[in-house]
Amino acid sequence: MTSTKQTWQERAELQLAAQEVLYREARLLDERRFDEWLDLFTDDGVYSLPITLSDDPREPALIRDSKAGMEERVFRLTKTLAHAQNPPSRTQHDVTNIEVGDLRDGQLEVFCNQTVHEMRTGDVFHVGLAEPRLLTARCRYLFVPDSGWRIKEKTCLLIDREYPIYNLTFIF
Amino acid sequence: MTPQKFSPGRTGILDDKVGDLVIEDSGRFRVHSDIYVNQEIFGLEMTRIFESTWVYVAHESMIPNPGDYCTATIGRQPVIVSRDDDGQIHVLFNRCAHRGSVVCREERGHASTFRCPYHGWMYRNDGSLIGAAQRSGYPEDFGEWGLRLAKVPRVQSYRGLVFASVADDGESLMERLAGVRWYIDAWCDRSPQGEVTVPAGAHRYEYPGNWKMQMENGVDGYHGNYVHESFAHILERSGERNATDITRARNRVGSRNFAKGLHHGDGLLEREDGMLGTYDTRSVPEYREQIAEAYGRERMEEILTQRNIFIFPNLYLFESHIRVIRPVAVDKTYVEVYPTTLVGAGAEFNKARLREHQRFFGPASFGQPDDIEIFVCAQTGVNVDAMPWMELSRGMAREYVNELGETVSHSTDENPQRAMYREWRKWMTSEEGLR
Ligand code: FES
Ligand SMILES: [Fe+2]
Repeated sequence: MTSTKQTWQERAELQLAAQEVLYREARLLDERRFDEWLDLFTDDGVYSLPITLSDDPREPALIRDSKAGMEERVFRLTKTLAHAQNPPSRTQHDVTNIEVGDLRDGQLEVFCNQTVHEMRTGDVFHVGLAEPRLLTARCRYLFVPDSGWRIKEKTCLLIDREYPIYNLTFIF
Repeated sequence: MTPQKFSPGRTGILDDKVGDLVIEDSGRFRVHSDIYVNQEIFGLEMTRIFESTWVYVAHESMIPNPGDYCTATIGRQPVIVSRDDDGQIHVLFNRCAHRGSVVCREERGHASTFRCPYHGWMYRNDGSLIGAAQRSGYPEDFGEWGLRLAKVPRVQSYRGLVFASVADDGESLMERLAGVRWYIDAWCDRSPQGEVTVPAGAHRYEYPGNWKMQMENGVDGYHGNYVHESFAHILERSGERNATDITRARNRVGSRNFAKGLHHGDGLLEREDGMLGTYDTRSVPEYREQIAEAYGRERMEEILTQRNIFIFPNLYLFESHIRVIRPVAVDKTYVEVYPTTLVGAGAEFNKARLREHQRFFGPASFGQPDDIEIFVCAQTGVNVDAMPWMELSRGMAREYVNELGETVSHSTDENPQRAMYREWRKWMTSEEGLR
C-alpha cells in the first residue's frame, strides 16, 4: 500500500524513521524498560490485540488499552505481585516486513510483522516454566511523525487470536 | 531443548478403588491428588462423567438462524450443534457413517448440508443422509441401513443454554437443573428482557493442568485475597477501591457473603452487589431502574446479587460471562470465556460491562491469568506422593443445610467443592456411569 504522492526516496526516509522506533520499542520491551515504552505513545495512544476484525463494540478483544490502560498494565507488571508474571517472562521481539503505508492528516500508517519469543524463567522442572513459546502477529501502527514519531495506534493481529492462549501477561 | 517434566499419570488405580479417592469423615473431607495426574482416571472421567451426564454444549445465540451451526465436544467426542431449516436444534456426532471422518471442520458457520471430505457422502443439517457418492456400488436396501450422522440421544435447552447427554435415558434436564434453576433464572434476568446473548468472539485459554483445577476455583472464595492481590492494588491505584477494604469484604461474616453447595455437584458464591469493587450496579441507577421496572424491587435485589454459578461438570455462569471447561488430557485443559450481552440493557451499559470484564478476565487480563498460574503451580505440586491428599474441609464445622437442601457457609469455605466431589464420586462409581 504505497502512496502515489511520495517518491521512493521519501518513502525510504519514512520507513527508516519508523523502523528506528519499532526496533527501539522492541528493545525497550525486551529490556523491561516499560516506563520508557509508555513514553513512545501519544496521550491518546491505543494498544490493542483484537480477536475478531469486527468493529462491533460488543466484541471482546485480548487487549484494548487506552494510555491509562497501558499505564495500568505496566503498573501491574512492575509494582504488584502478579502470579502469572512471577517468575517473569523473558521476551525477544523480532520485527520484520516493515512497510510504509499512507501519510494522512499528519499520521503515518506502517505495517510490520512481529514474532515474540517468550519464556518464563524459574525451576526448569516445573510445569509451565522454562518452555520457550512463539507468538506471532501482523501489526499495524499509526505514527505521528510531527510529535517525535510517537505511536498513536499499535494493533497486533495474533495468528492464533481466537484460539486457546496460555499466558499473554507480558507486553506483546 | 525442553527437559522432560514430571510425566503425568501415576497408574495402578484399580477401577473398584476409584471411590476411595474421595474420603469424607467427621469434620474432614479429602480427595486424592491422583485425580489430577492419573491417565486412567481421566479416561474414566470422560466416559463416566462427561459422556454420561448432561453437559453444556452451546448457547442458542451462537446459532440464531436456521442453518447455523457450531461445533463442540462431549468428553472426547466431537459434535455439531446445528439448527435445521425448521429452527430445531440438533446435536450430531461429527463422524461420517461411512469410515469415520469428521464432516465439519469449522467451529461456526452456516450450512444446510455437510459433505464428508473423504468419499463425499452428503448429510442434511439434521443429520440425515442425503446420499452416498456412486450409489450403484451398494445394494438396493442400502437406504434401510439406518446410516446417518448419529444423534446425541438427549438434547434440551434451558433459557438459551443448550445441554446434551450421550446417555439414552436418565433424569430429564429439568430434573437435573431443579436445584440450580432459580439461580440460572436470576442470572438471565440481569437482562431487563430476560435474555442473554454471546458475541462472535470469545476469550480462550489453555493451561498445562487438570480440568478440575478450574472446576474448583470458580467458586473458591478463599483465594481472592492472595491470588488477586495484584488486582486489588490496581483498583487501589485507580482510586476505585482500597485494597484493605477488599480484603475485609472477603473476610466479612454475617452479611450476604456465602458459598453454597447444591445437589448434583452444582455450587455458587453469592456476594452483595459491588462487594469486590467491580460490577457495582449501584453506580448505574438507570440500569437498576430498568430491572426494578421489569421484575419489581424485591426481585431486583435478588437478581443483582453477585454470583459465580457452577453447573457440574463443565459450565460456569459469572455475572459477565459464560465459562466452559473443555478437558483435553489429564494435564491439559481448554477454557472458553464468552462475555455476555444483556439484551435491553443498552449499548453503553453493555460496553462498560465488557470493558470491566476484560480488565479481569482473559489471557492478557489482570485477574484470570493469576488463577491459571496457580492451577499450573498445583499441577506440579500434586506429583508429590508423601502428602497425596487435598484438604477440602474448610467450613465443615460452621456450614448448615437450609430449607432447600443447600449447604450454606461463609464464602471462603469449601462446601461447593465438597458438593462437586460428592457428585464426582457418584458418577465415577455408579451403575449409570459404568454404562
Ligand atoms: S468416510 Fe465419509 S464418505 Fe467415506
Ligand atoms: Fe480467581
